[in-house]
Amino acid sequence: MSEAPVREQEHELDTSWMDQMGEWGIKAKPGKRGLTLAEIQIGEYGELPETTDNMTGRPRGATPRPEAYRVGAYGVRNLSEIWLENATFLYEEALQRQWSSATDIPWHTIEPLPDDIEEAECLLCTFFNEVEFVAGDVPARWIAKTSPDFFEARHVLIAQVMDEARHMDVFRKRALANGGGLMRMSGATSGFIGSIDLARDFTEMSTRLHISGEGAVLTMFRMGELMGQNDAEKRMYRLCAQDEARHVAFGVMHLRFLCEHAPERRPEIECYLDEAEAQIMAGLQNPAGTQAETSEALAILLGGGKAHYDEGHKMLLVIRRRQLKEYMKRVQSAGFGERFENGRSSIPEQYAAAY
Amino acid sequence: MARFPSEAWFKEVQEVYNSDSSLHTGGGGACETTAAFKVGDECYRIVFEGHQCLEIRSASEAELASPETDFIIEMAPELWKAMVENIQEHGAAHDDQTLNSIDLRQDDSIAYSPEDDQARQDLFYRFNQNFQDFFDASSRVETTFD
Amino acid sequence: MADKDAGAAVPAAVSAGDDDGPQVEGVPEPTYEWMGLSNEWGVRVKPGEHGLRLGDLNVGIYGEVPEEWNDHTRRPRGALPRPGIPPLPYNLRRKHEMWADCAADLYEEAIQRRWIPATEVPWGSLEPLPEEVERAICQICTEFCQYANTELEIITYWQGQMSYGYFEVKQFLATATFDCARHIEAFRKRALANGGGLGIEQRGSVNRMILESRGGWTESVTYLYLLRGTYTMALYRMLLNAAHNDAERFIFSHCIEDHARHLTYGYDHLKYAVTHHVGQDRILQTLLAIGESIMGTELKEGTMGSAMAVLLGGGIEGGRTIGMETYLHGVGDFVRDYLALGEWIGVPREENLNPMLKKYLVY
Repeated sequence: MSEAPVREQEHELDTSWMDQMGEWGIKAKPGKRGLTLAEIQIGEYGELPETTDNMTGRPRGATPRPEAYRVGAYGVRNLSEIWLENATFLYEEALQRQWSSATDIPWHTIEPLPDDIEEAECLLCTFFNEVEFVAGDVPARWIAKTSPDFFEARHVLIAQVMDEARHMDVFRKRALANGGGLMRMSGATSGFIGSIDLARDFTEMSTRLHISGEGAVLTMFRMGELMGQNDAEKRMYRLCAQDEARHVAFGVMHLRFLCEHAPERRPEIECYLDEAEAQIMAGLQNPAGTQAETSEALAILLGGGKAHYDEGHKMLLVIRRRQLKEYMKRVQSAGFGERFENGRSSIPEQYAAAY
Repeated sequence: MARFPSEAWFKEVQEVYNSDSSLHTGGGGACETTAAFKVGDECYRIVFEGHQCLEIRSASEAELASPETDFIIEMAPELWKAMVENIQEHGAAHDDQTLNSIDLRQDDSIAYSPEDDQARQDLFYRFNQNFQDFFDASSRVETTFD
Repeated sequence: MADKDAGAAVPAAVSAGDDDGPQVEGVPEPTYEWMGLSNEWGVRVKPGEHGLRLGDLNVGIYGEVPEEWNDHTRRPRGALPRPGIPPLPYNLRRKHEMWADCAADLYEEAIQRRWIPATEVPWGSLEPLPEEVERAICQICTEFCQYANTELEIITYWQGQMSYGYFEVKQFLATATFDCARHIEAFRKRALANGGGLGIEQRGSVNRMILESRGGWTESVTYLYLLRGTYTMALYRMLLNAAHNDAERFIFSHCIEDHARHLTYGYDHLKYAVTHHVGQDRILQTLLAIGESIMGTELKEGTMGSAMAVLLGGGIEGGRTIGMETYLHGVGDFVRDYLALGEWIGVPREENLNPMLKKYLVY
């Protein structure tokens, strides 16, 4: 930057904007967790509209300008469509708990593995690459469609896109770090009808992505500590699990909010859950699912090699039961638990059969 | 030398954890939760705030069951003991002795929400690294067992 | 490729016990059809002194970035394809439409240089400011929120349309969006933390120009980074220079770092596009001719200039003299940088520069 000259010239200055500020005299104070988003939800700045007519990208609480361009084209304009009670908390948590796949994973602990185990790990890493792609692409697509009046929820989705980028990168790194390579893609996350990609409604997408999809993947990541062959893999899976649990929390808390604030949508949501449940074990999107070839890889990793496949398969059944049980409890937490008692859901049957 | 389990032992671990900033990074960043440990009949309440373990103390069962508690980690005393011994031996939980690994080997989770709310039980997963780092810090506490 | 019949060691961590449920009679027979299916096996990248970075992975076929990526699926680059997978709407499938060589390094840099407004900005250093100055910084923060909002909306509009052949760019853009979220957060917090509030929204001419750039990501980059972004950087630098307290110093210095990464990618991409796509330079000339006019109008009519002048002049009175002079000098720097960058990218604008921008060159 070059040095500014000092001139005596006087310029005209239109300061009419000074008289058109939003609510004035706001003095948010840092709390024990710093100055979080929750701390600045004060006065008019904390007032969330049930339905917003903000189509100009105006920050919530700023003064509207009548001649501003309507550039937003926002499709998500109802609070119940996107909101969740703990959005500020989840966003701050995501910021606080970022990690680096380059420097926080002890890559030096990786040692050459038997070929069958290396192939199984690489297949899983290839699969997780695809999964992370969809989990990054799809929330990103909804961000620009959502009114900035609900920016806290939108910020959580942005943090998720960041997390998924890191997951994609850590699994690619693992696949290429130990004498293996990427394997054949699964194609499981493609644009089939009823898939995460094609959802036309945010809650529909969130039900598929956050609750059934990422819920199942969360269990897998947690299992990474059992199937990890070294500290690098164990840590990689554990840190991914923490991130994934935040994404799942978004889905559960959003569904809970919708259930409480838009009860007329319950029958529709039940249909989304029907579709998701039909895919949990039978579809290809769950790496531990009955149709997925990654299940074979998991059995090898959990058993400790092809020679112990049967033992690994038994552990795989434990995973499946965990996935189903946790899914049921999450849906129950979101306010849709009745479906497991009134015979609508097939999950209790699937759970009983998963032995 | 502190005895496991005891309030004195947990407080020594708290001191180590809070004083070592290397335990507050790399996935174990700021953490906000109130949880509890049950070791046989003994109960302890733990509060994490930011990068600090703010409180660890003995508590009653009734207190553990209060709505304030996000989740409780409950294991048989011999499992707790095996985990702590493993940490003492290796400097950090080794092989299948991490909290997550122990949990996965049980048919039912060792962590549960007293209100049976999975969203709060999921905090065990969201903050798993902090709890692991906390117990790994116990490798620096001279420990005896009953 | 791996020996399919290799023996296996049993990891110590694995135990199948503790399952007290009824067991199946027989375990389904594995097919192992997936074994041995890899394009390239035997890859062993090693961490360097900065860890294992994304760019380190570009070895063998995994580092081959094609000029055109015709796979419409989510196949990771280098993985073996699977026939019969329905396509997804990946509309950006040519390298010149998004590529910049620096993307992988910028991605890792963004992760290493992350910051947290809630706990790292020294909010306690804020002290009451003269009313006019507080109003000015609050107006500026409001407009910066809109700048960042526009940036993240246009990135996320395109991000999902970018093919996985160029995943490094998608990765970097994920960090850029996250940065924008942090900027919105930091500016909003600043506006609401010192006795002020948000100001009046912009009319949004340049925002509209950016959001309406639907002819391709390169067009968006042209408006978002070469025009608006270069101007924003000039503002950040002036504001860092004029920061009233450590909190503002922290915010603006970190925003400069974040924004510099975005600009590095943007400029690098435009140069790549011009160098590798015949006729791109002419397209950019046309786009910039339109964009300069919109930018010039916003500079003349927008509230940012007035708010900056008040802030830099310490109030309205100073704003009419030294404040506006300093601001105009900063705008002059922006135009000079813009011209130099255009030259470097391969789109010289000096001869055809819009008079509404040219007039700032006297400062």
